[in-house]
Amino acid sequence: MSEKPTIVCRCEEITMEEIQETIEQFHCSSREVKLRTRAGMGSCGGRTCRSVIDRLVEELGGATVSNEVPLSYRPPVRPVSFGVLGGAKE
Amino acid sequence: MIDVVIIGAGPAGLGAAVAAAEHGLQVCVVDEFVKPGGRLLGQLHEEPDGKWVNGIEEAQKLYNQAIGLGVDIRCGISVYDLRKLENTWCVYTTDEMIESKCLLLATGASETPIPIPGWTLPGVMSIGAAQVMGNVHRVKPGEKGIIIGVNVLSVAIARELQLCGVHVESILLPQPGLLAGSAGNPEKMMESLLRLSHLAPSPLIRMGGKWVSPKLGARLFPKNGFKMWGIPIQLRKAALEILGDNQVEGVRMAEVSANGEVLPGTEKTVSADFVCIAGGLTPMAELASVAGCSFCYVPELGGHVPLHNEFMQTNLAGLYIAGNITGVESAKVARAQGKVAGLSMARELKALVYGGNEKLYAAVEEVTETRRNALIQFQPGIEEARKELHRKFDETYKQKLVSI
Ligand SMILES: Cc1cc2nc3c(=O)[nH]c(=O)nc-3n(C[C@H](O)[C@H](O)[C@H](O)COP(=O)(O)OP(=O)(O)OC[C@H]3O[C@@H](n4cnc5c(N)ncnc54)[C@H](O)[C@@H]3O)c2cc1C
Repeated sequence: MSEKPTIVCRCEEITMEEIQETIEQFHCSSREVKLRTRAGMGSCGGRTCRSVIDRLVEELGGATVSNEVPLSYRPPVRPVSFGVLGGAKE
Repeated sequence: MIDVVIIGAGPAGLGAAVAAAEHGLQVCVVDEFVKPGGRLLGQLHEEPDGKWVNGIEEAQKLYNQAIGLGVDIRCGISVYDLRKLENTWCVYTTDEMIESKCLLLATGASETPIPIPGWTLPGVMSIGAAQVMGNVHRVKPGEKGIIIGVNVLSVAIARELQLCGVHVESILLPQPGLLAGSAGNPEKMMESLLRLSHLAPSPLIRMGGKWVSPKLGARLFPKNGFKMWGIPIQLRKAALEILGDNQVEGVRMAEVSANGEVLPGTEKTVSADFVCIAGGLTPMAELASVAGCSFCYVPELGGHVPLHNEFMQTNLAGLYIAGNITGVESAKVARAQGKVAGLSMARELKALVYGGNEKLYAAVEEVTETRRNALIQFQPGIEEARKELHRKFDETYKQKLVSI
């Protein structure tokens, strides 16, 4: 069965095909895949699919794995309400 | 300001809390789950000598010990950011900001997914989720399940599900391809299984653990799999698609060759009301990354890990790590690492008196010893990979840390 229609990023519903085409066209890093397709940019913060994206990038000839974390983490690393960010106690 | 904040109340975090509090440090542990214990809470194993290890009891013991020493344990709050001031770590939680002199990240590991057609259907979950439902919340994930992904963790949890009264129909591989990567390769998975040989009642595997090469093992593997605890483990079958209209109804599968190619004409559909995906574990290092730690890519340890030494120090002053965030290993290793981190922080804060250094070195030794005796080896070559990592750390940072 073709892998192409399989959803990789569940939050943004990005398929294998979209990710594969992006990597093959731009020979890019995980970060660029994320910026171009929104894969890994959804409400879970990429916590589900980031490792799959990293592996696809590596296997399809994008950026090679280095000691740097490929998709950088940015705070907040958990979903938080504006109230919490603003210093209000829940 | 308190002495030590620990993020994560798993065996590593609690082990560290106990060691630090025993030396008079004021310790606060934060965990986002509702109960302390981390992944220990889901574990239930029978050791080779027939004794059962009950993670819930282990967690309770550690918790009681920590509480007895005055450790402040706060559950149900998440840490979402960290910041370093001159000599202080600021820990931003969903409750309040906490400041401390030393900070320990003991956030454990997260699961790696394997995208499979149909994996967004209700009733599909990660193997760890099924473990938490069954062993922690005492809720059956379903009546009849199929596990996709053959590895140490999936076999161990299949057994736990069985003890919960759930029928596990089979454990099989994901469809070979880019998305599954090595998880779809029978030889690679044979290698992983052989590391479980001492746990397996199957004579094939028990013998195999000693002499069969993974290559030979995958080729000789019986077409219908073999059984562990009555659960068929099928390295020569792969799941092609998870089926169902509104929820899981079954899995379409086919036979695969020893190097993982689907054999045409062997497809069939097997019914199930839930499916678990077991893609393996990777250290959960988000907060270390936010803090600005240097990282190293070490496949033996499960992926990217913060660079650290055997005393659990990172390259950032006052920041320590312990447990699965340093590499995926068993709970006992995590706990032993926690003790080292606790003692190291006591050393930094000048609380290690009367033979303290000897204690610290003994604790480091205990980690190696525990690792060698561990029942579950998640990956081969862990010891060597760790030595190399520590060497790299010393090479880069030793000079900078001489002050401690
Ligand atoms: C699904 C799964 C199953 C496992 N099964 C086994 C097994 O059967 N046998 C075995 O030996 N090992 C198993 N392991 C390995 C297991 O991780 C270790 O055995 C051990 O529990 C690791 O201890 P730890 O203290 O490093 O992390 P954990 O026990 O995972 O504890 C980490 C804690 O940190 C908390 N945390 C993480 N991030 C944050 C944050 N931002 N804010 C607040 N709290 C946070 C989590 O809630 C968690 O309680 C399993 C791991 C996983 C993921």
